[in-house]
Amino acid sequence: MKSRPSDYNIRMDMRLAAAVAAGKAVTWLSRRLGAGAGSNFPGKVILRLHADAPQAMASRLPGGCVLVSGTNGKTTTSNLLSGMLRAGGRLPVHNRVGANLITGITAALAQASDLRGAPRGDIGLFEVDEATLPAAVERLRPRLVIVTNLFRDQLDRYGELESLARRMDAALAGLNPGADVLLNADDPLVSSLGRDTRATVHYYGIEGARDTEKALRHAADSKHCRECGSPLAFDAHYFAHMGRYSCPGCGRSRPAPEFAASRVELRGTAGSRVTVVTPGWSADLFLGLPGLYNVHNLLAALGGAQLLGLGEEAVRGGVEGYSTAFGRGERIPIDGRTLFLVLSKNPTGFNEVIRTLRGEGEGLVVLAALNDRIADGRDVSWIWDVDFEELAPLPRRLVAAGTRAWDMALRMKYAGLDTSRLEVRGDLREALRAALAAAEEGETVYALTTYTATLELRRLLTRLGAAPGLWEEG
Amino acid sequence: MKLGLPELRICHLYPELMNIYGDRGNVIALVWRCRRRGWEARVTRLSLGEPIDPSRHDLFFIGGGQDREQMMVCEDLAGEKGEALRAAVEDGAALLSICGGYQLLGKRFLTCTGENLPGVSLFDAETVGGDTRFIGNVAVDCRLEGAESTLVGFENHSGRTRLGPGCRPLGRVIRGYGNNGEDGGEGCVYRHAIGTYLHGSLLPKNPRLADWLILRALRRRYQLEALPPLDDALEDAAHRAALDMVLREGKRPRLSPRRRLPSPR
Ligand SMILES: [Zn+2]
Repeated sequence: MKSRPSDYNIRMDMRLAAAVAAGKAVTWLSRRLGAGAGSNFPGKVILRLHADAPQAMASRLPGGCVLVSGTNGKTTTSNLLSGMLRAGGRLPVHNRVGANLITGITAALAQASDLRGAPRGDIGLFEVDEATLPAAVERLRPRLVIVTNLFRDQLDRYGELESLARRMDAALAGLNPGADVLLNADDPLVSSLGRDTRATVHYYGIEGARDTEKALRHAADSKHCRECGSPLAFDAHYFAHMGRYSCPGCGRSRPAPEFAASRVELRGTAGSRVTVVTPGWSADLFLGLPGLYNVHNLLAALGGAQLLGLGEEAVRGGVEGYSTAFGRGERIPIDGRTLFLVLSKNPTGFNEVIRTLRGEGEGLVVLAALNDRIADGRDVSWIWDVDFEELAPLPRRLVAAGTRAWDMALRMKYAGLDTSRLEVRGDLREALRAALAAAEEGETVYALTTYTATLELRRLLTRLGAAPGLWEEG
Repeated sequence: MKLGLPELRICHLYPELMNIYGDRGNVIALVWRCRRRGWEARVTRLSLGEPIDPSRHDLFFIGGGQDREQMMVCEDLAGEKGEALRAAVEDGAALLSICGGYQLLGKRFLTCTGENLPGVSLFDAETVGGDTRFIGNVAVDCRLEGAESTLVGFENHSGRTRLGPGCRPLGRVIRGYGNNGEDGGEGCVYRHAIGTYLHGSLLPKNPRLADWLILRALRRRYQLEALPPLDDALEDAAHRAALDMVLREGKRPRLSPRRRLPSPR
């Protein structure tokens, strides 16, 4: 039996349909004009026409919404989780390419919807900028929120970590009692979240890693207990401020993870072999993504999949069928050489990449592109927190590129790189040409690029015919 | 006066608490510029509860920090430790303080939440927390004797600092907000001590200021007319690129208390 929709509902539906149609038209147009991927403009148009459009569309997803937030690893985690959901027979609606503000989520929903605003998919999977989490929770009423880690990335946008954490706590306090929260146990700030939530809190973390660091690096952020302010004591450091810690002041310690990696074997840029342990099962997985930080991304996705009711088979399928998140550790053949493209957008990310590069030997050709656009953070001071001293012995040629190419070059000089090995090419196209020319046939060029530089380089490669377009990947 | 090759003894204060925007790059630049001249540079890191011996260091450095860290450092600097820092500067030691560190070396810092943090009173300056942040690239016309040049950097602060007659500004703002967004002054100088809001890091792209500090610091113990020059082609190019960029950005809107910047919080 069908109830008769009221005039009001019909009017609302028509408004939503009009907004969705306008959003689709704008998206189509901006792609035709070659405007950037993940552009926020279509979302802005939709919200202007219908302020409640995201919740109206999201409420039609039978499986609800999942939000993935945190400073690093949002895209990799949600791409891994998306693969697991697909392997488990679900159809996620997913905001790709880092469009992680409300506008980007709105555009993604509209893109996946029919003209009445009903999404063709059964679960929403959205990566959400840390500062957008409160608004996203309020609008989308998620059934699961995953928080990967918190770094003082882009403080010029967010203010301080502590106030960011407070706002995230307030967001989690707004969750429904039946919802789940999945937190990184190895990040002391993240694991302190969720104190006021009525949702169920779960943790993931690394239990066995041989490749730990002896001391906290200076780029570490969260070294003090959030409860009492005492310096935390660590018996193992994984990277940055991630590790096994406890507070000598108030006794707070790292929560025991429900989803854990009991053994990790890093294999350079090729990836890692990881033994995972969950409440239901354990398995050996090969993850084709380098570094310990990607083991965290794997655990976050795996925990999320379990909490959404998926089993071992779907998780395995998702990990094995995973093609790297756009730009994050991608190998692209060009001119008889291989371009290894890695997003490196903050000290922690950069330090991890440098650690991985050290396994590749010396005499490398490196392209380092530093942009200072709004999405990168206008302030590039953070490059002085990166351990470029460990990178300096590796390149036989380093091409500094991007809007802040000179800052990058100067940082490398002060890190100890001989200036005869250094070349400055602000323009990315020229920089790419110089780096390829410096490499031998069959050699790899390592491109370390900040967020917008990654987008730019990827577009350039598409134009040169070296990489498939962003729109063809799924 | 000592004979032999100079050795610069740097005291890096609160390195793990006060290093919010890559301020350690300043220490890297100081050390590097000494070693390139064949001289030794030694860095001593001092943190909470560790006393300062004014005679054991030639140059002090303190960077910027977040509110909580700044509070801890403020408490630690009260009393003898701040006294020792003042004594060193009175005796001719050089000092560079950035952002939060600069604020703590003034007479007091009144935060926007109403807390009154007493400062070290090395600088005749007072800071009041504002409800908007001054964020962006900065260019400064530096009037420091022996280091007349432009300075380039990045500012990100909500504090408004006003100088008293006991110190003078480091320079005049060409672009950006500077000390308080109103009087056009940026930073402050007292003897060989400098306070400034400029991150960047500051010294790598402003090598003349770096050498000004090194020369003043060393002159306390060594007979030095000037520093041997270094090849600063890359430094100068980076300086020019940053200067061109900030000049292209144009003038920023003047902030009155009613007109707000889009604030990050
Ligand atoms: Zn504690």
